[in-house]
Amino acid sequence: MATSILDLSSDRTPEAVGDVEDARLIESLRTGSEQAYEELLTRFQQPVFTLALRLLNDQSEACDVVQEVFLKVFRNIGSFRGQSTLKTWIYRITVNEAHNTRRWFFRHRRREVELDTDPEEMRNWKEIIPDRNRSPFDEAFDREQHVMIEAALDRINPIFREAVVLRDITDQSYEDIADILGVSLGTVKSRILRGREALRDELASSLKSRPALRLVPKTAE
Amino acid sequence: MSCDNVQELISPLIDRKIPAAERESLLAHLESCRECGAHFESMQNLRRALSEMNRAAMPPNLAARLRVMASHELARHQSRATLSDRFEHWSGHLRLWFDNLMRPLAVPFAGGIVSALVLFSALVPSFSVVHDYADADWGTDPYGQVVVLSSTGVNSPGVSADVPKIEPTYASYPEDATVVWLMIDESGKVVNYQLAKGNMTSDMQTVIMLSKFMPATFLGIPTPGLVKMVQRPTSRRTLRS
Repeated sequence: MATSILDLSSDRTPEAVGDVEDARLIESLRTGSEQAYEELLTRFQQPVFTLALRLLNDQSEACDVVQEVFLKVFRNIGSFRGQSTLKTWIYRITVNEAHNTRRWFFRHRRREVELDTDPEEMRNWKEIIPDRNRSPFDEAFDREQHVMIEAALDRINPIFREAVVLRDITDQSYEDIADILGVSLGTVKSRILRGREALRDELASSLKSRPALRLVPKTAE
Repeated sequence: MSCDNVQELISPLIDRKIPAAERESLLAHLESCRECGAHFESMQNLRRALSEMNRAAMPPNLAARLRVMASHELARHQSRATLSDRFEHWSGHLRLWFDNLMRPLAVPFAGGIVSALVLFSALVPSFSVVHDYADADWGTDPYGQVVVLSSTGVNSPGVSADVPKIEPTYASYPEDATVVWLMIDESGKVVNYQLAKGNMTSDMQTVIMLSKFMPATFLGIPTPGLVKMVQRPTSRRTLRS
């Protein structure tokens, strides 16, 4: 039980090939290559959007953040000195942008009434067409579980949420998280630990507060 | 190892951040302690559930918006590559700004110019002033083509000799002929005359008063001219009889 997902044999090492690829991409971006711009978007638009969405739990805000992030990346690639990896640098910008957006949101839009359309209508066809490999129950269960986790993530301290999202959702190493958040390794460990505990407690309390499903057996009349 | 300590180490254990020596004793405790084992299992499940949330569906229009933005940024980057590119970029901006500024004014401006021209051409005749021929330069084109349009005197050959003739200034004339210099303005009218030789005849007077000349031209523009009217002495009819 204890070693089911630990996979102790594997070891995470920095990939030299990835670094070379990054260096080539950065150089191409600096020279204004169209293919480089496209490649950067192709590589990072999905992870950046996922990270922004998990940090903000709001799709439209996440879209705005993604655009801001890439705007900053394009404009500041010339001043990127390569002290961290390209991915770490982009994630750091994303976390900062999400942080700024959240702060602005709480300052200005807390009392606004949401007039947006039904989230069901916003989903694209890939989400609507069912995946035949999984049962509808599994899909519904997963969706329900994800909604609960998103809600719980939204309730925990943003400082802890950043660490948990970076570690458990985007699968960043402790060192990369320390680099992204600009804190020490010890602080990262502490935030991940506290964040996971807080998330677990939130989920436990939300499950307790839900009305239990009661199945009352009845005889056929 | 107390349960509190173990539960604090569960998170680093999941992340493989526990040294090998400590890991063994930790796993042994998790196997033996029901509460800590459950805690570990729930943390594992939580991490698994979180790792499944690593790919959120992007809104379809976001990718397009990002590409439009990238295209704008690329153009911006290329416009700043060299000094000439930068100059071209800013001159393009300036041209566009000027065009946008002028376009709304173009129709009123053209209308104003046309109206001004029309008004000016309509009003020009009323601006004409009486020319002071005393100061006129009669030598502007003294040998210009001057033709009598209508008069009692004609300039064509074969007419009787006693009819006054209009001749160029350089034409020679007989000793006894009457010669009158006619000063003709740019509209073809005789504005002044000077009896050079002989006596003025009534025919000559008629020519002076009633003739209409085609004025001399200089570079296609009508100009005052000087012609000579000559009457042969064959049948002299003097004015002063």
